[in-house]
Amino acid sequence: MVGLGLDLSVLENPSKSAATDAQLDGLSVGVDLGMQSFPLPQVHDLDSFEREVMEYVKPSHGTTTLGFIFQGGVIMAVDSRASMGSYISSQTVKKVIEINPFLLGTMAGGAADCQFWLRNLGTQCRLYELNTGKRITVRAASKLLANTMYSYKGMGLSMGTMVAGWDATGPGLYYVDSDGQRTKGQVFSVGSGSLYAYGVLDQGYKWDLDVETAVELGRRAIYHATFRDAVSGGTVSVYHVTEKGWTKISGTDVGELHYEYYDNPEKHPCNGTQPI
Amino acid sequence: MEYLMGMRCNDFVMLACDTTAVQQIITIKHDEDKLIPIDSHKLMGVAGEPGDRVQFSEFILANIRLYAARNNRELSTSATAHFTRGELATALRKRPYMANLLIAGFDKAGGPSLYWMDYLATMHKMNIAGTGYGSYFVLSMFDKLWRKDLNESEALDLMLKGIDEVKKRLVVAPPSYVIKIIDANGTRTIKTVTDPAVA
Amino acid sequence: MEPPTHCRAGATLPSGQEFLQSFQHRIARAFAGDTFEPIPLRCQMAGAGVQQPHAGAQAGPRVHANWSPYDDNGGTCVAVAGNDYCIIAASTRMSSGYAILTRRSSKFLKFSDKCLIASAGFQADLLGNTLYYKRFFPYYAWNLCAGLDEEGKGAVYTYDPVGSFERVGYSCQGSGKDLIQPVLDNQLRAASPLLLPAKNWMSSLPLDQAVDLVKDAFVSAGERDIYTGDWVELLIVTKGGIRREELELKKD
Repeated sequence: MVGLGLDLSVLENPSKSAATDAQLDGLSVGVDLGMQSFPLPQVHDLDSFEREVMEYVKPSHGTTTLGFIFQGGVIMAVDSRASMGSYISSQTVKKVIEINPFLLGTMAGGAADCQFWLRNLGTQCRLYELNTGKRITVRAASKLLANTMYSYKGMGLSMGTMVAGWDATGPGLYYVDSDGQRTKGQVFSVGSGSLYAYGVLDQGYKWDLDVETAVELGRRAIYHATFRDAVSGGTVSVYHVTEKGWTKISGTDVGELHYEYYDNPEKHPCNGTQPI
Repeated sequence: MEYLMGMRCNDFVMLACDTTAVQQIITIKHDEDKLIPIDSHKLMGVAGEPGDRVQFSEFILANIRLYAARNNRELSTSATAHFTRGELATALRKRPYMANLLIAGFDKAGGPSLYWMDYLATMHKMNIAGTGYGSYFVLSMFDKLWRKDLNESEALDLMLKGIDEVKKRLVVAPPSYVIKIIDANGTRTIKTVTDPAVA
Repeated sequence: MEPPTHCRAGATLPSGQEFLQSFQHRIARAFAGDTFEPIPLRCQMAGAGVQQPHAGAQAGPRVHANWSPYDDNGGTCVAVAGNDYCIIAASTRMSSGYAILTRRSSKFLKFSDKCLIASAGFQADLLGNTLYYKRFFPYYAWNLCAGLDEEGKGAVYTYDPVGSFERVGYSCQGSGKDLIQPVLDNQLRAASPLLLPAKNWMSSLPLDQAVDLVKDAFVSAGERDIYTGDWVELLIVTKGGIRREELELKKD
C-alpha cells in the first residue's frame, strides 16, 4: 500500500467516478489504518443528497485569505473566523496550515475539507521527500493537491486554498480549489471576503515593496475585509516565506487594528452620518 | 453588471456609475446615464431592473418637481431621500420596484449629503456607499483611502482608482462609466471613462 | 449506557449509538497492543441523531418517500479545561421533534482504563479522521473531546460534524450552544492562541468556580432551550481520577 515505486497515476484517465471507489493511500490518512475509502450513501442522486446533508450539518465556513509574491518573498495573511450559518463557531481557527517548514497552505471553504486534505498533502509531501531525498517543489505539491481534488470533483467538497512556499526555483504561489482548478500567480485572495481584500491589496501592491510594507499591506487588506464581511473576523495572522522557510510575523486582534488605524472615530467613513 | 458608487466629502458629493444598458447578455447601449438630475443640486443614481429603474425615477422626479412648483420651494436632500424611501416602502407591499439608489445633493443649509437605499427601502446616510458587485471591491478601498477633506481632484482620482479596480477584478465589469459632482455650484459631469472599443 | 426506551419506526436507533459503537470500536482497534501509560479521557457527544443504515442499505439504492437518515435528538454539552483539571458536562434529556424520548440518556463515552490513549492531541487527530471518513454521509454529531493532556493540563477539543477540529480552553456543543457559548466567552475567554507575540490563551478558573459556572450555564440554557432539561451530568477529571456530579434541571 505504501507506493514507493514510480507514480504512474498520471497515465490514467482522471475520471470523476474514480472517487466512488477511492482508495486512499493507507499512510496518507493518519493513524487509522483501517480506514481506506469514503463510504457513500445508497442514494440515486448523490448531488442533492450532499446538498441536503450540508444543510443539516452546516460545516464551518467563511473566510478571507490572501497571498502575494513580491521582491522579498511571499506574504500570506488570513483571518480566523469560522461560522455555521449565522452562528460564529470559532474565532480562533488556524487558517494557515503549516505543511512543512517551506510550505504553507491556506484554508477557505469547508474547514474539515481543508484541514483534512492539507494534512493529507503534508503526508504526501513527506513521502515524496523520503522517496526522492529532495524537498518537494511548490509546483509539485500544489499539483498533488489539485489531482486529489479533481478525483473528488462533483462530490461536494468545498475548498479554496493557496499553496505557497520556497523551493529551488524561488518563491511559489498557487491557487488550488475543489473544482480541481490550479493556477500559478502573483496575487491571490480567496474566500467570502476576498473581494474586499482585493480592493485594498490591488491598491497597495507593487513588486518592489519592502518587507515591512508588504506585511502591513497583507494585514491591512485582511482587516478591511473583516470590517465589511460579516463572516470574516477574529485575528489577522501574517506569514512571510523566504529562502529560509516560513515565519509567522504577527497575529493581531482585529479590534486592536481598528483602533490603531482609526484612532479618531471622526476619520472613519462610517461615522458621523446620523440621518436626522 | 451595474455599478454605482458615491462619496461625500467636506464640500461636495461625487457619484460614479456605469453607462451600460443590458438586455440579457447583450450590452445594447453604452451611454445610458443612470445619474438622473432631480434639480440643480441633486442627483439620483438608480441601479436595478431596467423597467423599474426608469419608471420609479420618473415618478419620483415628477413628484418632487410638482412639489417645488406648487410650494415655490425645493425639497432638501434629506426630505427628497425620505420621500423616496416612503414611496419605495409603500410600493414594496404592492408591486415592488427592483431598484437600488444613491441620492446625493448639496443644500445651502446642510452642505453635501449622500443617502444609500436598497429596493427594500432600507436607507442610510453615508460618507461612502455603493451598489452592485463592483462596490464590494471598492468599498474596502474607500474605507482605507477616504478622507473628509479630500479635494475635488483627489476625490476624482480615488473614484477612478475604484473604477480601475472594478475593471481589473470584476468578471462582468462594464466598459464605460460617468462621474458627476455636486457642490455649491450645482451638478456637473467631470469625467467619462470609456473603453476605446465601445467609444 | 441505558438501552433506548423508544425506537422509531424501521431500524432507527435513537441518539448517537451507532456512532458511539463504531467509534469505540475504531479507537479500541487502533490502540490494541499499545503500551502507553493510560490517561483516562472522556469523549462525549451532543445533539446526536446519527444516520442509520436501514434494512435495504446493503442491497443497493432503495428510495423512501419523505425518509431522512437524520434526526436531531437535542441535548447540550460543555467542557472546560483548567490548569490541572477538566470538566465535562452534558444534559441527559433526549428528544425527537417535540417528544421527549428519555430523560436519562448519558452522552458520555468513557474510554475504559484499558483503553490506551497516548495523548489528547493524538486522539483528537484520530477523531478528526474518523469523522472525515464519513465526509459524504456524515455523522450527524457534534463532538467534544476532553481530558488531561500529557502534561496533566486540561484539554478540550471541539469538532464539527465532518471532522474539522481545534484545541480550545472551553467549548459548548449541541442544542443549547447558542445560549451557553456566549456566556462562556464572556466569563472564560482569554487571548486568542493565534496572537503573536503570544499571550496565555487558557483561562484558569479555580475548579470550584468553574464547576459552578458550568452548572449555572446549564440551568440558564434549561430555561430557554426545550432540548436541555431533566439532569446535567458533570464529570471532573483531575490527576487523582474522575469524579461524577449531577444536578437536576427543569423537567417541563
